[in-house]
Amino acid sequence: MPTFEVEGKKYDVDEDGFLQEPDLWTEDVAKDFAKSESIDALTDGHWKVINYIRNYYLQFGIAPMVRKVCKETGYKLSEIYQLFPSGPAKGACKLAGLPKPTGCV
Amino acid sequence: MADADEGVKPANGKPETKLLDELEKGPWPSFVTEIKSAQGVTGGAEDLLGQLELSYEDKVSHWKHGGLVGVLGYGGGVIGRYSDVGEQFPKVAHFHTLRVNQPAGWFYTSEALRTISDIWERHGSGLTNMHGSTGDMILLGTTTDHLEATFQELTHAGFDLGGSGSAVRTPSCCVGMARCEWACFDAMKLCYDLTMAYQDELHRPALPYKFKIKCSACPNDCVAAIARADLSVIGTWKDDIRIDQAEVANYATAGVDIQKDICANCPTRCMDWNGKELNIKNRDCVRCMHCINAMPKALRPGVEKGAVILIGAKAPILQGALLSSVLIPFVAADELLDTLKELIQRIWDFWDEYGTNRERIGELIQRVGLAAFLDGIGLDPAPEMVSAPRDNPYIYYQPAKEDEA
Amino acid sequence: MTTTPLQPRLTDVGPPRYDKYLPPIVLKNYGTWKYHETLAPGVLCHVAESGDRLYTVRGGTPRLLSIQTLRKYADLADKYCGGYLRFTSRNNVEFLLTDPAQIEPLKQELALLGIPVGGTNNAISNIVHTQGWVHCHAAATDASGLVKSMMDALIDHFTHEDLPAKLRIAVACCLNMCGAVHCSDIAILGVHRRPPKVQNDLLTKACEVPTLVASCPTGAIRPVPGVGGKQSVEVLEEDCMYCGNCFSVCPAMRMADAENDGLSIWVGGKVSNARSAPRFSRLSIPFLPNNPPRWPEVIEAVTKIVDVYRGEARKYERVGEWIDRIGWPRFFELTGFEFTRYHIDDFKNAGMTFARSTHIRY
Repeated sequence: MPTFEVEGKKYDVDEDGFLQEPDLWTEDVAKDFAKSESIDALTDGHWKVINYIRNYYLQFGIAPMVRKVCKETGYKLSEIYQLFPSGPAKGACKLAGLPKPTGCV
Repeated sequence: MADADEGVKPANGKPETKLLDELEKGPWPSFVTEIKSAQGVTGGAEDLLGQLELSYEDKVSHWKHGGLVGVLGYGGGVIGRYSDVGEQFPKVAHFHTLRVNQPAGWFYTSEALRTISDIWERHGSGLTNMHGSTGDMILLGTTTDHLEATFQELTHAGFDLGGSGSAVRTPSCCVGMARCEWACFDAMKLCYDLTMAYQDELHRPALPYKFKIKCSACPNDCVAAIARADLSVIGTWKDDIRIDQAEVANYATAGVDIQKDICANCPTRCMDWNGKELNIKNRDCVRCMHCINAMPKALRPGVEKGAVILIGAKAPILQGALLSSVLIPFVAADELLDTLKELIQRIWDFWDEYGTNRERIGELIQRVGLAAFLDGIGLDPAPEMVSAPRDNPYIYYQPAKEDEA
Repeated sequence: MTTTPLQPRLTDVGPPRYDKYLPPIVLKNYGTWKYHETLAPGVLCHVAESGDRLYTVRGGTPRLLSIQTLRKYADLADKYCGGYLRFTSRNNVEFLLTDPAQIEPLKQELALLGIPVGGTNNAISNIVHTQGWVHCHAAATDASGLVKSMMDALIDHFTHEDLPAKLRIAVACCLNMCGAVHCSDIAILGVHRRPPKVQNDLLTKACEVPTLVASCPTGAIRPVPGVGGKQSVEVLEEDCMYCGNCFSVCPAMRMADAENDGLSIWVGGKVSNARSAPRFSRLSIPFLPNNPPRWPEVIEAVTKIVDVYRGEARKYERVGEWIDRIGWPRFFELTGFEFTRYHIDDFKNAGMTFARSTHIRY
């Protein structure tokens, strides 16, 4: 199983760098994973999105649909991509410690 | 199975491919020969052969589920693939695919093909699909660290990534006015204009599920829009079929049995042949194309051209397959782009409001009813939308609106 | 290897403009084509109002193409077509010529390269298909090998226009059906026949249980407590019809089963509006074994359908229209395929396919 290492900490991740145990998520995970998603430092804006996604996941067991993320955080989709350059699915969900979004693409 | 391990063990750097070698025989061009000819580009082709040989022995796929990779600023366009036998075949351990927008009508110059080939020699396996089912050019097999460079070389060459996931998929169209006398609207231009209008929705998934747009310029529907596009634009005409009676007579002389082959095959029996002239009762014609297909020199679509807009086609998953159904019976060719843009926005607004995760628009319409969908997007019902009115009396009568009148 | 991206970073450039790669004769006569003739199987002549003539030579490809082959196509386009070519919606390559004297030399060169010319009008065109084992995780079979084996057997119907009408074949490796497989004259569809094997440890890590439950068309998946108090699912196996959509949303629902995966064969669909309306293909053979590298059982069945259709159908009748006329009982009689309980629909609206008249042919 691949691991992701940062500052001496090791995380079990899948090939795409998603946390293998969603339950092990802490705020440190988001901070540690940020660089790998081309984010220099997490701002209040990042946290607003991460916390919304994380809380939604804990409440409903699923990732929120993108339009809901936009509606509830007040960010336009383009702004979400500015915050998370690889997008809400790959970037924001990874930092929020959700399972990797799947589906027949 | 006993000799499976031996059978795929690389020998002299190249895998043994006893089963796949069988597929190099025979008259049809062989995909195995294609894979072999890309050996040496990155090594991906060699290991792809090895892994595929293993699948031919095991009778299961050796690709792992999913994969989520991409380029910055886009939420799709790259299909992540990882091998479940990556240790045995390390050069396909990571083997991602890029979907690249095809030029409308799949026209290329030799220079464009060479440009793509050169980029894919530098950054990928050297293997392609011309083309994938949706219409994109498929660049088959590379690693994550090459994605950004491939993407930038593509955009600098005037190509861009296609759609994947819950996004607008790359629209596609038939050859249309570029080489077909039956084109009732400019399918290639419309397809291009729509693709450009929805760059954001194509590259940054934000819809409940995938949304496919396909444009066929006549009812022959060469891109199968009615079978697989959420929004199907299919050309037709309103006025009379154009007839060259002398050419009809020439077909008769050449052996076409006009009465039997043409008139008797007309679905509405709207034409007859008196031995000299073909008479068409255009009021009854449903523009099926049979007579025109059979006698292209003698018959042509009319001159008042446009398209039917249909909605909702999809493959079986989840609630069963659907063909698209009529939404707007006719839009004049020169009004298509504006009409479609306004219509698509209204459809998406409704879908956003009422669609559930991974629910195609056709399934949503099935769930809420076409009438409710029409109310929602502000279209009046029309008899062209149904094959017949309902035969059951279970009608949801709406309460009288007392404030009106 | 160099992977330094070019600068400046460009995004959202879209595809090449629709008229960027059009040959001059097409630009000149765009939208003013008058009629076309077929000069030979795979060779078309389009005549414009201006009197200009554009000749098309259509060749079959394996769809999966190496850059070496693309460069060969480019060389041919340079030599014969002023550098222009196109591909079709069914994975054929088309060379566009203005000089009819170049048709024969081009055809000879294509023959040397092993590229068959044909696929027009009342012929079998190239088979559209999916990725299969070459590049898909969900595939119940391989597509490229099936297509190669079928086209080897049917190539004479590609190079000759010897059928009653056009005949469109498609292959999909699973029920996701990337492509219009469900509306083909003959469709080959990869199927699973066993329920998913739930991998609990992976499921609790990698999958959203509500999404997984919602992914099942028959409600056969329901949540149950899993290890460590986490939610998992169970599958009501008698309600599962093996569509594999649960695997699409969750890697822990493995469908692949070497012994039980295989092929089903469907007939009579079409997308064209000519004569009869577009329609779905119908089940012809519920299951044939996965038998790589040549799938002889599939080849035999498809060849049988083509032969019977060719012998029995009237001019212009597509497969579905031919069966409309002769009836399904005669189709099964003529092909020798067994009619089984699997042929009777039992999903939603199944009753729409029951025969509700006394119109029976004896």
